Amino acid sequence: MASSFWNIAYQQAMRSGVFVAKVYSFLHVTTNYLAFPAYAFGPSMIPTLHPSGNVVLAERISKPSRGDVVVFQSPEDPNKLPTKRVVGLEGDSVSFVVGPGKNDESRTIVVPKGHVWVEGDYIQNSRDSRIFGPVPYGLIQGRVLWRVWPFQDFGPIGPPTTT
Amino acid sequence: MRWLRYLNQWRGTAKEALEQVSIVAKFLCLIHVTDRYIISSTHVQGPSMLPTLNLTGDVILAEHLSHRFGKIGLGDIVLVRSPTDPTRMVTKRVLGLEGHRLSFSADPLVGDSSISVVVPKGHVWIQGDNLYASTDSRNFGPVPYNLIEGKALLRVWPPRFFGSLR
Repeated sequence: MASSFWNIAYQQAMRSGVFVAKVYSFLHVTTNYLAFPAYAFGPSMIPTLHPSGNVVLAERISKPSRGDVVVFQSPEDPNKLPTKRVVGLEGDSVSFVVGPGKNDESRTIVVPKGHVWVEGDYIQNSRDSRIFGPVPYGLIQGRVLWRVWPFQDFGPIGPPTTT
Repeated sequence: MRWLRYLNQWRGTAKEALEQVSIVAKFLCLIHVTDRYIISSTHVQGPSMLPTLNLTGDVILAEHLSHRFGKIGLGDIVLVRSPTDPTRMVTKRVLGLEGHRLSFSADPLVGDSSISVVVPKGHVWIQGDNLYASTDSRNFGPVPYNLIEGKALLRVWPPRFFGSLR
């Protein structure tokens, strides 16, 4: 009778394993093709996002357009996922101040084909395309839709609020 | 009430059909996960990797694990999402990792004007083996590491060229 105990235990384990696999597959398909949560922190997107941290929902369905806040893989560090706003699409002419606060020298760049120009909403403290250049489309992971946490700021993430 | 009887007959068939569909769906999921995250076959064509890869098209097996663990090295043939056209994948060889200094000729057909670059952090330098007919890092610059989507393992078609790629 001892062998049938192990049989039952084995069957239970297999059933749980299959269930876990199904849940994981569902989550995987959802996060890779539909929407995924992301944790964004840092001062570069003030006032749109809090510097102390936000959990946002990003979707992978639509193509990013001007004014969208996107999550992308950093061209500087493949392990980082910055969140910035798309300020220019391919072909656009973007002008930016080289060193805000230091001087007023400005430069104009045409965004090359297949790339976007991203900038943080808080220009004074943001590492973005003004530093690492235009970002290829292939690195964009998703468009930020909604802030989920902190709860008191639950709501859509929209166009930059003019201060 | 004949239609009620028909409905009952079809219930059994519908249940069986659903079971078969779910088996097929599970199989497709498995294929998809393997194809995207482990190993897949890709058809590559074009003159930019001659003589390593044929002009008219080869089918190669590519694995999608190495790039996730940072195990892409010098000399590897990689599948990269094109920085100029995000809907296209290109196959080139990695000739420089971050921090490496490279010299290349601006135009291999004309003269010896040589340009020297240092590959920035988080990027790789890719070039086709056929310098005369390849659009690669010499044209669009170093490519961010995360655009690499796979590493070529071996060629499976045409059969007379079956084997590892070097």
